[in-house]
Amino acid sequence: MAQTLPTLPRDTAALSAYDLWKSYGDRPVVQGVSFTLNPGEVLGLLGPNGAGKTTTVGMLYGLVTPSRGFVRMGTFDVKSDGRRARDRMGIVTQEDNLDPDFTVIDNLIFFAHHYRLRGAAARRRAGELLAELELEDYAQYAVEQLSGGLKRRVVLARALINQPQVVFLDEPTTGLDPDARQEFWKLVIRLRKMGCGVLLTTHYMDEAQRLCDRLILLQQGKMIDQGTPPELIERTVGTEVVELEGVAEDQLQQVAATYQTWCRSFGNGYVLSLSGDRAPQIWDALVALQPEQITRRSANLEDVFLRLTGRMLE
Amino acid sequence: MKIPSISLWGVYSVWHRHARVYQRTWLVNFLPPITEPIVYLIAFGLGLTPLVGEVVYNGQPVTYLEFIAPGMIALGVLFQSFFEGAFGSFIRLNFQRTWHALLTAPLTFGDVFVGDWLWATTKGMITGTLTGVVAIVWGIYSPLHLLMALPFMLLGSLLFACMGLIVAGAADKVDHINIPIFGFVIPMFTLCGTYFPRETLPGTLKAIADILPLASLVDLLRFPMGLPQWWWANILWLVVLTLISAALAVRMIRPKLIH
Repeated sequence: MAQTLPTLPRDTAALSAYDLWKSYGDRPVVQGVSFTLNPGEVLGLLGPNGAGKTTTVGMLYGLVTPSRGFVRMGTFDVKSDGRRARDRMGIVTQEDNLDPDFTVIDNLIFFAHHYRLRGAAARRRAGELLAELELEDYAQYAVEQLSGGLKRRVVLARALINQPQVVFLDEPTTGLDPDARQEFWKLVIRLRKMGCGVLLTTHYMDEAQRLCDRLILLQQGKMIDQGTPPELIERTVGTEVVELEGVAEDQLQQVAATYQTWCRSFGNGYVLSLSGDRAPQIWDALVALQPEQITRRSANLEDVFLRLTGRMLE
Repeated sequence: MKIPSISLWGVYSVWHRHARVYQRTWLVNFLPPITEPIVYLIAFGLGLTPLVGEVVYNGQPVTYLEFIAPGMIALGVLFQSFFEGAFGSFIRLNFQRTWHALLTAPLTFGDVFVGDWLWATTKGMITGTLTGVVAIVWGIYSPLHLLMALPFMLLGSLLFACMGLIVAGAADKVDHINIPIFGFVIPMFTLCGTYFPRETLPGTLKAIADILPLASLVDLLRFPMGLPQWWWANILWLVVLTLISAALAVRMIRPKLIH
């Protein structure tokens, strides 16, 4: 007997961006960006400063009006129905714009009011969030008394008040120390487990590699590639690279040309891709150049970016 | 011009946020500003009454204290609504980035703008009313007259709050707010007949003072001593200026937030 497979709804994406363009005067800032964000997925938007990440995020929640294209949050058009779209979004902006006149818990309670959560319901939700984000001990603290990491956590708690389906994190860990960054990463992973779609912009490659299920690379407002981190690394640089110092550039270029591999300057030395079956031969050829230093390591997103954009992320 | 989308709940929610901040900091934010028009009322009233005694207003002699009471109510309205619109909104826009935070909630620019506007209006109303209460206790303005004056005070508060918002949107630095204060608010306070009749001013200066909005407000608040002949034109003038100011304020602030 033929079995009927259940049919998925045609559009299961939590958030969809269609052909987004933004220009200021004659200067294009975002050019033709399209993507979908699924529930329970962390999507990374990567790019150097000025690549159009924040402008793109602004278009996603309605702060920036696209010159062309549109954004849908579920079935709501962000431009024409921004209020209902934002009702389902949690937005963590780059800056900590908490209310300095309120305590931590009051920041949450009074923000809940904008979602029509009041009185006991608002206090209950604020309490839940403080517990979830391990902020209970700081409930009565003034915002100024908090460290940078704790402030970011309170901003995230504020964004989660209405149990959003999609959370935007715009460079959420910039300026945080390594411990605070790792604590924040745990929260992002927890959001994903809860089924939230998370859109993360960052210029920390390690952060993107650890957290993101899928990545979009932006350069000068254009999407230059997209895929999972391993896909992007494999496709762009291969699995391994060599870093080396103290070798003549023309000799190195000759090796790169012979084995048709990618090579470019990197810090005080060079980086070269060890791609394909000929990796052992390439390695031997490089060792034969007798460099002062030579290191073989796994390729990472930094290398991808270096290759695709020709520059390091700042 | 496109009219921003506004919801009653959104506006109330923004206003409510400002009111709760005010409640937390009321000793600092409430007591000092409220004393200003009251101090003027007492100082001018007690200091100048022995020198002036009576003034002629609308063709009739009135005591100097009765004359300045509506002037000081208007002053309270002007100072508090303008300062909250200018300084308060500037701080929320540029330092605390409150507007930016609010726009991440299900609120529109229209909600946040009108919420700020009505909050500055509220502060003008609070100070104007309390100055009126002092005048009532002193016996120089009646409770009924204060009640009847509330719509005029509301109109004045809406206008001066909106003028403050224009300044908040136009200023790049907080110091820039001093320019309209010393170039517009203080001259308006001193020239518009708050503590002396404008009839004593020379022709050109009187003509300038007459068209300044505080003059219209003060004349309307002096209705117990008789309304001016063109009182409805005063109301119309305040309404028109309010609408123009609102449009200008939106134009100044919106591009700072929505690109």
